[in-house]
Amino acid sequence: MELTSGARVAVIGGGPAGALSAYFLVDLARQTGIELQVDLFEPREFTLTGPAGCNMCGGVISESLMQKMAAEGIILPKELLLDAIDSYVLHTDSGAEAIRPIHDEMRIASIFRGAGPLGAESQHPLPWSSFDHYLLGMATGVGVRHIPRRVRRLDRDPEGRPRVHLQAARGEESADPELPFGVYDLLIGCVGLNGSGVRLFEELGFGYRPPKTDRAWVAELYMGAEEVHRRLGHAMHIFLLNVPGMKFAALTPKGHYATFIILGEGVNEEVARRVCHSPRIRELFPEGWETPVRPCHCQPRINIGPPHRPFADRVVLVGDCATSRLYKDGIGAAYRMAKVCAYTAVTRGISAEAFRQGYWPACEEMDQDNALGHLLFSMDGLLRHFAPFRRAMMAVIRAEQVRPADPRRLSSALWDTFTGSASYRLIFRRALHPVVLFRLLVATLRELLPGRRSH
Amino acid sequence: MLFDSEKPSLGREYADGEVILREGEISDCMYVILEGRVEVVVDDGGLQPFHLAVLGKDDFFGEMSLFSDLPRVATVRSLGGVRVMSVDKRGLLRWLGDDPSLSMRIMLKMVDRIRLLISEVVCLRKKLREHGIV
Repeated sequence: MELTSGARVAVIGGGPAGALSAYFLVDLARQTGIELQVDLFEPREFTLTGPAGCNMCGGVISESLMQKMAAEGIILPKELLLDAIDSYVLHTDSGAEAIRPIHDEMRIASIFRGAGPLGAESQHPLPWSSFDHYLLGMATGVGVRHIPRRVRRLDRDPEGRPRVHLQAARGEESADPELPFGVYDLLIGCVGLNGSGVRLFEELGFGYRPPKTDRAWVAELYMGAEEVHRRLGHAMHIFLLNVPGMKFAALTPKGHYATFIILGEGVNEEVARRVCHSPRIRELFPEGWETPVRPCHCQPRINIGPPHRPFADRVVLVGDCATSRLYKDGIGAAYRMAKVCAYTAVTRGISAEAFRQGYWPACEEMDQDNALGHLLFSMDGLLRHFAPFRRAMMAVIRAEQVRPADPRRLSSALWDTFTGSASYRLIFRRALHPVVLFRLLVATLRELLPGRRSH
Repeated sequence: MLFDSEKPSLGREYADGEVILREGEISDCMYVILEGRVEVVVDDGGLQPFHLAVLGKDDFFGEMSLFSDLPRVATVRSLGGVRVMSVDKRGLLRWLGDDPSLSMRIMLKMVDRIRLLISEVVCLRKKLREHGIV
């Protein structure tokens, strides 16, 4: 079961996982002399503001993804960039510390997935472009056909090849609400977790079950460019605070806006309200500024656990609906998995066995790494309540930042945790380095001594 | 600022003539050109450095040091202003292991450069033969 010239591929979903799967598949197939016909089904119009054009995401391109894309020759055009991030500021109940990279360079970008928050359309023309629209353009640029229609049902023909049925559009209504569209050699599902797409693949009956999910809270807060830069600078602000229900929160500068993300278990409006009223966060907002009652916000589902069997003969799922990275670098994970999927389909074939051997190991590796991530955040959750340790951690970071020759192991571990630059395995190795543990122990003992609190 | 200062920019900017990497240095990254051009020169001991190539947007340089610990073989400097992004050796080697197609892209680029070098060597040898030196 292999792809040959003229083979037809359907990609369902046009977010980063879909657009990149289509792009890499065409590109890699072409390098081996195979010309494919790839159809990408995405009804969403990414050039619209608000939920209509947005794939619900914090919109940060990690340092590692930025470097990987640059090495690949994918240079993001300037109009996509809302801001370039040069540092992180870690806020805890025991104070704040800036973590700067060792290099003097901007390697993290903030972007809008769609055309920006609801209401931004009043600025005409918009001074930025949609990231997802750009990726879709990359795919259509190599010959992928974009079909702006919603898929209603998937099944297989008598020979076992996947069939796509579209939702009948206005003017096409008949007794049958669906429209048979085509038969494909390979079906790639990049349907995310926030629509009805997952159900399409569950109903195909090959044993796929979506990953375990949780909710994030994402809001675009308008403050004006001047205030955003005065308050946040070019830094991403991370909050590890003792707020019930919150694992961590982040405030990212994006031109006139600041994107506020809260992650935790079962984050809801009430948790968001508590977090927004935390003094540590309020001090970053302009004086007297109140969080808009209804900012452009969403509560997307996020992937926090492995999927079950995200592949079968001629079918594979990529991106959030299959395997992603825990709490960070979702776009980077989609990039990596799209590439592994395309490479597997072109070099090994499109049978379930080919995907088991070529694609599944990469998913398992990421899922195992995510298990370490869960452990890391559980440890942080426990230590968060032990104020002397928190103060000690901040003291170690402060000392690392002022020593020019210091390898900054703890700062690097935290930098990588929030930038998505490294695996949780590597972060663990750095954080558990004997020098870091010794410094933390000494700093904690100092904190416990009466009258020796660091400031 | 050489480029549009109103817009945020990634990477690092180098002014005209500024050296990005220097011949003989040991380094652990390669660079990708995001905007502008660079000139690659080699110091052959003469008064003027020997011009080797001009590279532009999307090109990368400094990749040879990723695959060996030998010093840089050429100096690269900004030509009229350039913005580059560095790619760390450790990360890149890990990605190359995970991603054969990325290795292929870098190899193809290096093959292109070897082809260019061979054609230049052939051209030089012809000229030397014409002048009766070889």
